[in-house]
Amino acid sequence: MGLLTILKKMKHKEREMRLLMLGLDNAGKTTILKKFNGEDVSTISPTLGFNIKTLEHRGFKLNIWDVGGQKSLRSYWRNYFESTDGLVWVVDSADRLRLEDCRQELSSLLLEERLAGATLLVFANKQDLPGALSKDGIREALALDSIKTHHWCIIGCSAVTGENLLPGVDWLLDDIGARIFTAD
Amino acid sequence: MIMEAPVASDGVTSTGYRETVKIPDRLLRRDQDRLEEAVRRKEAKENLSVSEEKIDHFSSAFNTEKTVIEELLSVCSEADRDQLSRVLEEVTSRIQQLQKFLNDSTVFLTQYELRQAQASLQKLQCGLEEKRDEFIPKKKFAFRSRNIGANMSKVIKPIRDQPASSDSGSSDGNLGVVSVVYAEQCGFSNAHSQVLTKEADEIQQRDVLLSHLTNCKVRLLGSPSTLHIKHVRDSEILCGPVSSSVFVDQCTGCTLAVPCQQLRTHNTTDTQVYLHVTSRAIIEDCTGVGFAPFTWSYDGIDADFKLAGLDFERNNWNQVDDFNWLAAGTPSPNWTVIPALERKCTWE
Ligand SMILES: Nc1nc2c(ncn2[C@@H]2O[C@H](COP(=O)(O)OP(=O)(O)OP(=O)(O)O)[C@@H](O)[C@H]2O)c(=O)[nH]1
Ligand SMILES: [Mg+2]
Repeated sequence: MGLLTILKKMKHKEREMRLLMLGLDNAGKTTILKKFNGEDVSTISPTLGFNIKTLEHRGFKLNIWDVGGQKSLRSYWRNYFESTDGLVWVVDSADRLRLEDCRQELSSLLLEERLAGATLLVFANKQDLPGALSKDGIREALALDSIKTHHWCIIGCSAVTGENLLPGVDWLLDDIGARIFTAD
Repeated sequence: MIMEAPVASDGVTSTGYRETVKIPDRLLRRDQDRLEEAVRRKEAKENLSVSEEKIDHFSSAFNTEKTVIEELLSVCSEADRDQLSRVLEEVTSRIQQLQKFLNDSTVFLTQYELRQAQASLQKLQCGLEEKRDEFIPKKKFAFRSRNIGANMSKVIKPIRDQPASSDSGSSDGNLGVVSVVYAEQCGFSNAHSQVLTKEADEIQQRDVLLSHLTNCKVRLLGSPSTLHIKHVRDSEILCGPVSSSVFVDQCTGCTLAVPCQQLRTHNTTDTQVYLHVTSRAIIEDCTGVGFAPFTWSYDGIDADFKLAGLDFERNNWNQVDDFNWLAAGTPSPNWTVIPALERKCTWE
């Protein structure tokens, strides 16, 4: 079996979406993924490579990619850009020290040609912590209002309590769905 | 576990047989379990051989394609402009396909194979970009500069106007946003040869920062949500249970004792960590980091373990992942277990 045959077999199915979840290390990406899937979140380790989960939601098949955010892994992020429908950018809202770092990483992602067509959902995570910056604080710190190249939305959430995870993903699906599935 | 197979799970496995049959539930369930176990074993066996086969297949397909791309890249020359752009296009699309092939194969690859494949792809991508730069430099430059320019004017300007903050930890003169934030940061900064203590109510469920300390003794008698330790030298830091992560960055010659859910250690040397960690510790760009089990205690620490949601029974202090050392089989030279006889056992 040659490479092309394999590729054909892996052809994109209908109503299937690919979501790429990125953010600095410790933002809570893996915790969000597991919480969304109803798994235990108390034993999660820092991600050494990535996790993939395929789940059904509202009749869509979601392929969610959660890639580790440690510095040494960030150069690999670009290996995952291909055919991404939705980019989920996760922010640790209590980590005020690294907001600038966070803004820079996000803004360079948005320059990537291969992410040009993707919808952006920003999760201002860890809202359950008393020291967390509000969703509007994060919006300002990341200069989201200057983004003109992507559809975007910011949602304050907590991966630990599960608050607002679903509304976030629903918004993302609606936005992507409106773009790719109504066309045909 | 690093990689998980895709599972189409919402946790809704249905067990509809119960309503219709009169055999006692308990028996039925046992029978069902037995059947399921048999199926599971059979599947596990099949999966194993299938996945070995798949890996072989993957490696040979991947390497063949990689060689083709390398050859294509090596024949690029400026002689024939038309041909050059065709070749570069061809290479671009082949790299994309190969990446997709890798992405779709990740479910059955091991972490090691994956990292290697990723590294190869990255090399190919760099090779391609080099060729592009070499032969078609102008176009790329124009594209980049326009985009960055647009962003800069909006974002960086207002930030530059702000006074620089005292923490010089992260990159270039940035940190405008961060100064908004400093007023509320809880912790200790810029101290030398001092004993520094915080009681529970000052740090409970807070994001706590210790930075630029030298030769200090720090006691945090409570349960922060996150603890950052940055630019600390020759100091001893003892802290109560941290509900999420402890960050250690640019520290040297320190002794730390802390329970937490995750430990993330960066750019740190010659430091001893007395650790209780319920998931795992990682190190990145570190050398000479020693680990031993957490032994410090204070009045009320049990309650703080509960508050932090940490399992007292579960301590993975000696399971450390080194992000700079992914060779399968050989242990990282960058960290060690502190020999039992050399461990500190009394704390003042
Ligand atoms: N309080 C609180 N803690 C959270 C929340 N989400 C994640 N955490 C904690 O933050 C830490 C990091 O979470 P992870 O999910 O491992 O972060 P990550 O983004 O996957 O990190 P990398 O894998 O290194 O990229 C863990 O200790 C989590 O328990 C949240 O909403 N609230
Ligand atoms: Mg993770």
